[in-house]
Amino acid sequence: MTVPRARSARQSFAVTIAGLSALLITAMLVSVTVGYRLYGLDQLYHAVFAFDGSETATVLVNLRLPRAILAPMVGAGLGVAGVLVQTLSRNRIASPDTLGLNAGASLAVVLASATLGITSLTGLSLVAALGALLTSMLVFAIAAGAGGISPIRIVLIGVTIAGLGQSVVQLILTSNEAQMQNLLFWLAGSFVDRPMALAINGLPFIAAGAAIAFALVRPLDALQADDATAVSLGVPVSLVRIGCFLAISLLSGAAVAMAGPVSFVGLVVPHAARRLAGQRHGPLMLAAALIGAIYTTLADVLARFVIYPVEAPVGAVTAVVGGLVLVLLLRGRAA
Amino acid sequence: MTANPAPSISIDSLTLAYPGKTVLDTVSLDIPRGKITVLAGPNGCGKSTLLRAIRRLHRPVSGRVMLEDIGVADLSEKALARHIGLLAQNPSAPEDMTVEELVRLGRYPHQTMLQRWDSQDTRALEAAMAGTGVTSLRDRPLGSLSGGQVQRVWIAMVLAQETEIVCLDEPVNHLDLAHQLDCLDLVRQLNAEFGRTVVLVLHDLNLAARYADQLVFMRDGGVAAYGTPDDLMTQDLIARVFNVDAMIITDPAYGRPLCLPLRTC
Repeated sequence: MTVPRARSARQSFAVTIAGLSALLITAMLVSVTVGYRLYGLDQLYHAVFAFDGSETATVLVNLRLPRAILAPMVGAGLGVAGVLVQTLSRNRIASPDTLGLNAGASLAVVLASATLGITSLTGLSLVAALGALLTSMLVFAIAAGAGGISPIRIVLIGVTIAGLGQSVVQLILTSNEAQMQNLLFWLAGSFVDRPMALAINGLPFIAAGAAIAFALVRPLDALQADDATAVSLGVPVSLVRIGCFLAISLLSGAAVAMAGPVSFVGLVVPHAARRLAGQRHGPLMLAAALIGAIYTTLADVLARFVIYPVEAPVGAVTAVVGGLVLVLLLRGRAA
Repeated sequence: MTANPAPSISIDSLTLAYPGKTVLDTVSLDIPRGKITVLAGPNGCGKSTLLRAIRRLHRPVSGRVMLEDIGVADLSEKALARHIGLLAQNPSAPEDMTVEELVRLGRYPHQTMLQRWDSQDTRALEAAMAGTGVTSLRDRPLGSLSGGQVQRVWIAMVLAQETEIVCLDEPVNHLDLAHQLDCLDLVRQLNAEFGRTVVLVLHDLNLAARYADQLVFMRDGGVAAYGTPDDLMTQDLIARVFNVDAMIITDPAYGRPLCLPLRTC
């Protein structure tokens, strides 16, 4: 009696995952072909498999294709990182932003630009990754102080560091307005003009973060309960928290390096994923990766049209759309 | 008298301290196999700490806890979790977690990276939910359940762990009278039907006397007395352990000793 029930739940989840995967592929194709100029799938095929150096082929391969690959990578990374942060902090309104990683990356970028004059995208993304890494080490060092890593300390320290970082960013921006103008777009997150090399360099970090996250699936399930319960189930709580923290740093560090700070994805995607996949981390993180990828890819397409013909920063789009979606999800829950 | 089987747990001169404060001072005690042992005593006497020390949630300063001939300190996290289950005081889990998702957690110590969920896990999960009467609630989120139902689900989780020893830290806190009885009847049923050795921390002396096979009175970080409820529920001991003048009568329904507190002393 129970076996068919489990099987049907698994089957319906497989259908969900298949549907999301199809949606993701569609979103990526839309991202390559739809924008300031429209292209056909045949043109894409030719550009990729029979590159002839034409303007169309160049735009498709050098401008459109990288962002159609970067956006889902960033979205998937942030979606999984969001689930991890929420489980680590036992707080459903936490996100990678809460740990201050984006603020740290922004601060590093602004500082590097103001003092060292770094303006190239590759340079900025490297600085952003370093900033995120240093911030995560700082938050971890303070949170892991006396008496182990407590969920509430992680949030408090993360929020404090994030606030601190953002204030300093504002300070530098306003004191140096003319020079910093070109950074404003970076600071809102974007996939414009990203080279494919960024995706290739980011991939190992996203893959490593995801590998750690999926290796921790079962202890993470148990860590949803209180510490005493988790320990008495045999969960090595501190070790799991360290692994979780490492995965978050890799995933959101790579994301901010590739796209700049893209807000709200890590907050809203886990909520949507829970609706589809429940609380168990295996299905949950798989759904979060796919939904994050779809969401970010479509937001990047939408960013090309909201203030057409100029491109809007994708971070602004994910925030506006994400805010609305979150309100809808929460309304649905209250009803 | 029949020969007593080897005790399930032997606590041997256990001393346990928080920084600057000794909480348990050279405590020795045997927990009999297949029985319900209830730890009782005034606030701050160390009864919860003793329970947590049995489960190795605290490392002792000296002394040891033995499971038959194995020291609790020598077991791996997961091996220990296959021997002793603990229902913590005020356990918590996300409100949108379903009953089944929570009960499944009990199978954690039986799984490894390579050995995924199998038919043995499914059998234990179903038995635990059926044994606690929560099967019909399996897809309900915890947030939609009553306090009594939630406590049954937590007990189901500990039951799914399939440990021979089950520790429960004040499981009837915050429950109304009906749910207190319901919960403790369930614990007794687990003891009787599944043969689990149960260690309970209870605040209510009369509930303790009613459900205990072995009653342990604790005071000031030590064991003041232990034995059957009939042996322990005396005017003298209750005055000494709880600072209460009490009249002890025999409850007419169950024939267990009943404490009628008169005044503090």
